[in-house]
Amino acid sequence: MGAEALLDIQNLKLDLPDGRRLLEGVSFQVQVGEALGVVGESGSGKSLTAMSVMGLLPGLRASGQIVFAGQDLVGLPDKSMRKLRGARIAMIFQDPMTAFLPVRSIGAQIDEQIRLHQPLNRREARARTVQLLGRMGVPDPAMAAKRYPHQLSGGLRQRAMIAMALSCSPDLLIADEPTTALDVTVQAQILTLLREIRDEGAGVMLITHDMGVVAQACTHVAVMYSGLVVERGPVRDVLDRPLHPYTQALLAAIPPLEGPRPEQLPTIPGQPPTPENRPSGCVFAPRCSFVRPDCAVRPALIETEEGRRVACVLYAA
Amino acid sequence: MSVLLEARALEKQYRLGGGRVLHAVSDVSLQVHRGEALALVGESGCGKSSLGRTLIGLTHPTSGEVLFDGHRISGLSDRALRPWRARMQMVFQDSSAAFNPRRTVGESLAEPLRIHGRKNIRARVDELLDQVGLARSVADRYPHEFSGGQRQRLNIARALVLGPDLLVADEPVSALDVSVQAQIVNLFRDLRASLGVACVFISHDLSVVRQMADRIAVMYLGSIVEEGDGLEVLDRPAHPYTKALLDAVPRPDRPLPPPLKGDVPSPVNPPSGCRFHTRCPIAQPKCATDRPSLQPCGEGRRVACHYPLVA
Repeated sequence: MGAEALLDIQNLKLDLPDGRRLLEGVSFQVQVGEALGVVGESGSGKSLTAMSVMGLLPGLRASGQIVFAGQDLVGLPDKSMRKLRGARIAMIFQDPMTAFLPVRSIGAQIDEQIRLHQPLNRREARARTVQLLGRMGVPDPAMAAKRYPHQLSGGLRQRAMIAMALSCSPDLLIADEPTTALDVTVQAQILTLLREIRDEGAGVMLITHDMGVVAQACTHVAVMYSGLVVERGPVRDVLDRPLHPYTQALLAAIPPLEGPRPEQLPTIPGQPPTPENRPSGCVFAPRCSFVRPDCAVRPALIETEEGRRVACVLYAA
Repeated sequence: MSVLLEARALEKQYRLGGGRVLHAVSDVSLQVHRGEALALVGESGCGKSSLGRTLIGLTHPTSGEVLFDGHRISGLSDRALRPWRARMQMVFQDSSAAFNPRRTVGESLAEPLRIHGRKNIRARVDELLDQVGLARSVADRYPHEFSGGQRQRLNIARALVLGPDLLVADEPVSALDVSVQAQIVNLFRDLRASLGVACVFISHDLSVVRQMADRIAVMYLGSIVEEGDGLEVLDRPAHPYTKALLDAVPRPDRPLPPPLKGDVPSPVNPPSGCRFHTRCPIAQPKCATDRPSLQPCGEGRRVACHYPLVA
C-alpha cells in the first residue's frame, strides 16, 4: 500500500486461553492523515482489534503483526507499551462517564495525563489542558476543567475525553463508538472535530456500526464479520459499490431517510456464528444468498482493484 | 379513524429540591388513532419517554388528562387502572431487563394471562410465539439463552399477551445491530397489519421512525414543536428544529452541514419565548419573547414556530 503505513496489522489472531479463536486473521493499514472506519455488528471483533493495538488485552494470546511506526506491538513488553500508550497511540471510548474517574475534576485528569508523558509543571500542564478544552469547543474551558465528570453533559464529556486523548499529540487516535451514546446534533459536532484532527495529520481508527458515521468521518473502511475483515477499501468505493454480499446486505438493511418507503426492509437471515461454531469455510456462507459449493473453502482477502480488497469467491480470479 | 388515546394539556413536572422544578412534559395535546403508529422523536431529555410513560399511566401527570377509548384514565388509582392495563402495554428498550432471569420465558408470558384470569394459557403462548416468529419450543428456555434480536421478539410477545389495543415502545430497536433492527422493524409492521394494534414509538433514529411511523411528533424541551404525517414531516420539515435534526444525521451521500450550536438547554430553567430560539439558525427578536403555539400548517399538520419553513 505505497509508503510505510502508520499502523500495519497483518494476520492478527487472538485466542482465549481455552483455545477459542476470537480473531481469525485481521489485516488492514492506517496511513498518516487517514481515517479508517472499522464497521461490523456486535461480536465481529472490532473492539478486540482496537484493544489489541492498545495492548489492553492481558490473558489473550495474540499472534500475527501489529506494526506501529516500524515497531511490532505484538509481544511488546508492557513497559515499552506504556510509553506508547497515551503518548503516541490514544484511545477514546463510547462512554466517557466510565472512562473518567468520577471523584476528580476532568482538568486534574487531563493534567495528570500530560505530566505523565511531558516534563511540565502543574501550571503549565493546566494551561495546556485549558487550551485543549477550548480547541475542542468546550465553552469557558478554564471553568470546565474544574468540573467533575457528572457535572458535564454527554457531549461536553466526550469533548473532554477527546481533549485528554489528544493531550500528547498522538500519531494514532483510536475511537471506539465515540458518538453512539450521543444525540445526532452532538454527534455532528464530534464528527466535525474528528475530521479536523485527521486534517492536522494524525491517523484515526474509528470503530462504529453506523455507515453514515463512516461516510462522514472516514477516508477508508474495513468491514468485519466474525473475527475477519471481509472487505476494505476507500469509503466512497465501498459505500457506492459494495462487493462482499455481507457489506451489500448491511447497507440494504438501513431504512432510507428519503425516497419511497419500502414495504419490507431487506434483512439478513439468521445470526453471526459464535467462535465455537464458526464455519471452516467462508464465515458468512450460512447467511449468504449467493452461497455455492466452493464457499466451503475460506476465501482470502484478495485485491480486486487498486486499494480494494474483498474475501469472497464471487471475485476470485 | 376513531381516536383511541387522547392527551389534553398534559404537564409532567418533577420536584428536584431547593424549589427547583424540572418540566419534563409541558402542555402536550395529541391524539393516537386506532391502529395508527405515532412516533415521538427528539434528543435525550426532550421528554419523549416521560410523555410515553404518562400516556400509558405508568406515571401520573401533574396536570392535564389522558383519555383512553373515551374514558379518563389519568388520576386513576393503580387498582382502578388495572383493567385498562390489559389494553395498553409497554415495550422496553432493554429486553434483557424485561424478563425474570430465573423463569422460563413461557412462564413469564403466561403470568399476565393468569393474573387476568384468562383460559387456554398454553395455546395463547404458542400463538404469541408464532406471531413474533419464534419456535413454540422456546417457551421452555430461559432469557439468557436468547440473542438480542430474539429477546426483543419475546419482549414484544410479552407486551402482546393480553391483546392490547395500544403499544408504547421506548427505543425498541436502538440497542440492536442493523441487520437485526431491520427484522424487528418489519415485525412491527407485520403485527400492526395483522392485529390492528396502535403503536407509539419513542425513538431518536429518524430513518427508523420514517420506516415505522404513520405520524410523527417532534419534541423539544418537553413540548411538541411539529406534528404531522411521517413522510411529510421528514421530507419537508416545517420547524427549524426538525430540519436541524435531519441535517445532523450523517449520510453517505452528502457532507454534514454546520451542526447546531451548543447543547439542549436545561429543562429546569428553559429559555423564554420559543424554547428553541437559543440554538435556532433563523431566530428573530420576536422568538426570544413570544412563545409560539402549535398552529395548523397544511393538512393534518401542526407547527409551533413564528417563521415555519413551509407554509
